[in-house]
Amino acid sequence: MSFNPKIVSFLCNWCSYTGADLAGTSRMKYASNIRIIRVMCSGRVEPTFVLKAFQQGADGVLICGCHPGDCHYHEGNYNCLRRFKLMQKFIDQMGIEKDRMKLKWISASEGKDFAKLVDQFTEEIREFGPCKVKEIVETLS
Amino acid sequence: MMEDTRIGLYVCWCGTNIAKMVDVEQVAKELGDLPNVVLSKTYKYMCSDPGQDMIIQDIQENNLNRVVVAACSPRIHELTFRRALANAGLNPYMFQMANIREQVSWVHTDREEATKKAKSLIAGAISRVAYHEALEKRTVEIDPATLILGGGIAGMSAALEIADAGKQVYLVEKKAQLGGQLLQVDLTFPFMYSAQQLRQMIIEKVVQHPNIQVFNNQVVEEVNGYIGNFSTQIKNGKKKETELKFGNVIVATGLKAFDPQGIEAYAYGKFPNVITSLEFEKMLLKGKIQTKEGKVPKNIAIIHCVGSRNKDYHEYCSRTCCMTALKFANQLKSAIPDSNVYELYADMRSFGKGCEELYTKTSTKGVTFLMFDQQDKLPEVIKAGKNDGCEMLIQMDEKLSGEEVEIPADLIVLMVGMEAHEDAKKTGHSVGISLCGNSFYIEKHPKLDPVATTTDGVYIVGNCQGPKDIPDSICQAKAAAARILGTINKKQVEIEVTTAFANEELCCGCQTCVQVCPYTALSYEEEKNISVVNEALCKGCGTCGSACPCGAISSRHFTDKQILSQIEGLMEMILQEEISEN
Ligand code: FES
Repeated sequence: MSFNPKIVSFLCNWCSYTGADLAGTSRMKYASNIRIIRVMCSGRVEPTFVLKAFQQGADGVLICGCHPGDCHYHEGNYNCLRRFKLMQKFIDQMGIEKDRMKLKWISASEGKDFAKLVDQFTEEIREFGPCKVKEIVETLS
Repeated sequence: MMEDTRIGLYVCWCGTNIAKMVDVEQVAKELGDLPNVVLSKTYKYMCSDPGQDMIIQDIQENNLNRVVVAACSPRIHELTFRRALANAGLNPYMFQMANIREQVSWVHTDREEATKKAKSLIAGAISRVAYHEALEKRTVEIDPATLILGGGIAGMSAALEIADAGKQVYLVEKKAQLGGQLLQVDLTFPFMYSAQQLRQMIIEKVVQHPNIQVFNNQVVEEVNGYIGNFSTQIKNGKKKETELKFGNVIVATGLKAFDPQGIEAYAYGKFPNVITSLEFEKMLLKGKIQTKEGKVPKNIAIIHCVGSRNKDYHEYCSRTCCMTALKFANQLKSAIPDSNVYELYADMRSFGKGCEELYTKTSTKGVTFLMFDQQDKLPEVIKAGKNDGCEMLIQMDEKLSGEEVEIPADLIVLMVGMEAHEDAKKTGHSVGISLCGNSFYIEKHPKLDPVATTTDGVYIVGNCQGPKDIPDSICQAKAAAARILGTINKKQVEIEVTTAFANEELCCGCQTCVQVCPYTALSYEEEKNISVVNEALCKGCGTCGSACPCGAISSRHFTDKQILSQIEGLMEMILQEEISEN
C-alpha cells in the first residue's frame, strides 16, 4: 500500500482556524491527510502535544497562528515561535527529522494560502516517508 | 471522573452539504460503538429547532452527560448547541464539536477519504469530551460609558444614539474637526442634500450634548481590559493624562482616498487639469469650476473605478464613486449648461434607493456614457495637438461599440476609490480586532453579525469595515449603538470562563508565566513563592500553561488532558482504519 501521510495540525482560533474555515466556505480543495485541532492561540501549543502526536503515529505536525503582530493575545505567536525552535531541536535529537514540524502564519483571510500550505506540507511529508518514531521511542525506553 | 460517561453523538447532514461527501450513516453507526457512546444519530439539520430539541430530549431521556455534534465549524454553531445543553439542564461545556463541513465535505473530493477523515475527527471529539469539566458562568458589571474612535458621520451618529439614551460617550477624533469624509463633500447623492448642512446639524447636537465628551486631535494608543471594563489613557489638553473607563468600544475610523499617482495611463500629476474626485468636490464647495488656468472648462471627462475593481490596485468596488460621478455630471450640467460631459465607466453600479433613478435622469441630460474594460486596456490621457482645440485627449477602446474613440478634455476628474488608513492595523491592534485581506476590519460574522467583532464589546461601523455610503454607515452606527445599549441595560455580562488556573502545589515559583502573560493576569506571591492568576484579567490564551515548566498552570476547557486525548482519539481511529485496510 502506498504511504499516506498522517498529519496533525494545531490552529489558533482567531486567525488560522478562521482561515481554514474560509478555505472551506470558498470550497477550495486540499489534501485530506490533515487533522485539525483547535487551540485558542498558537502560544498554547506545548511540546507534549507535538510529542504526543508523533508518538501516536503522526508523520508530520503543522502549527499555524496569526501573523506577527496580529495575535489576538498580542504575543502568543512569538512565544510559539520561540518554543517551536526548541521543539525542532528536541525532536531532531530524538531522531525525528526536524522538518516534520512546520510553523506558518495564516490570517483569517488566507484560506487559499492555507489550502496551498496543506498540499505542500503533505507532499513534503510524503517525501520523508513514514515516521519511525515508534521504534525510536521503544529503543529509548 | 470517568465512571459513567454517557455521550450522545449527532452527525449532521447539513442538507446535502455534508451528506454528499461523507457517509453520515456509516459514520454514526461505526462511531456509535466507541466506548462511552450511548447513542448515535444523524439528522438533516442539527442546528434547526427540531435538531436541538432532539438533543434536549435525548439528554433528558437517556441521561446523557456529554454531547458531540459533528457538523459545521464550531465558530458558527458551538454556542447554539451549548445553549441547547443548558436548556436540557446540562452544563454547556460538556460539549464538543467536530468540524466535518468546512474541514471535510467542502474541501475534499473523495467520498471514502472524506468519510475516513470525518470519523477520525469525531473520534477525537469523543475522546476529548470525556475529559470535559463543568464550568461555571462568570459575570461582570458593565461600565455604562462607551468609547467611540472616529468623529465622522458614523461615529457621531452612534454617539448621539447612545447619549440620547442617557449614557456617557467619549468621542475621540484624530483631526481638529469633527465630520470625517463629509468635510470634503459638497452635495450628497442621489437626493442632493448639502453635506455641510447635514454635518452642521449633527455636529451641533454632538458638541452640545451633555452626555458626549469630545476629544479632538487625539488618538488612542492602547485600550486595556475586557467587555464591561475597558480603560485607556487620553492626553487631555497639554500634558495632563486622563484615564477613561468604559464598557464598550465603537471603532468608526473611516478610510482614505486612493492615490492615483501610480496609474500611468491617467497622467495624474503630469497634467495639472487631471484632478481627483475630492479635488473636484473642493471646487464645487467653493462654487467655482475652472481649470488650473482659470478658464471655464468646455469638455469634462469623468473616469470611473480609479484604483477600484482592478487586480493591480484594489479588487473590490468602492461603492460610492459611480453615484458621485453621476452627481458630478448633474452639477456640471447645471453650472455650465453648454459643457460636454463624458462619463467613462467600467460598469455602472447604481444600486440603492434613488440611485438607478439618478442614472436614468442623468442619461437624459446629454451626458455621454462610454464604457471601457477595466481589466484590459485603460483609457489613456495624452496631450492634445495644436489644432484639437483642447488641452488633453483621452484615447479609449469603447466596449459597447467596439471602436477606438478619442475624447477631448479640458478637465479630467478621476473617481478615486477608497482604501483603508495606513494606521488601520495599529488602531485595530490597540482594541484587539483584526483586518481582512483588504485591510478593512473584519466582522464577527460577515452575514449574521456584521457590526460586532471577535473581541466582545468592540464594534466596527462605517467605512472602516468597508466602503459604504452615508445611510449605510448610519445604519451600522445605530445598530452598534443598539447592541451596546442592550448590554448596558442588562447591567452585567457573561465573560470568558476558559481562563487559566494554577495549582499551588505544583508551582515552583519560577515566574515564567508572569513574564509571558500579555495581560498581567499572573503575579508572583512572594510569601508563598507561587504564581497566582487574576481571572478577571485573564483572556484564556493558554500561553502561560504551555510555558510553565512544572505543569502547574492549565487552561480551562483546553487542558493538557483534553487536548492530548483528542490527539489520541483521532490518531487511534486513523491507525485502526489502516489496519483494517491491510
Ligand atoms: S491568537 Fe492566533 S496566534 Fe495567538
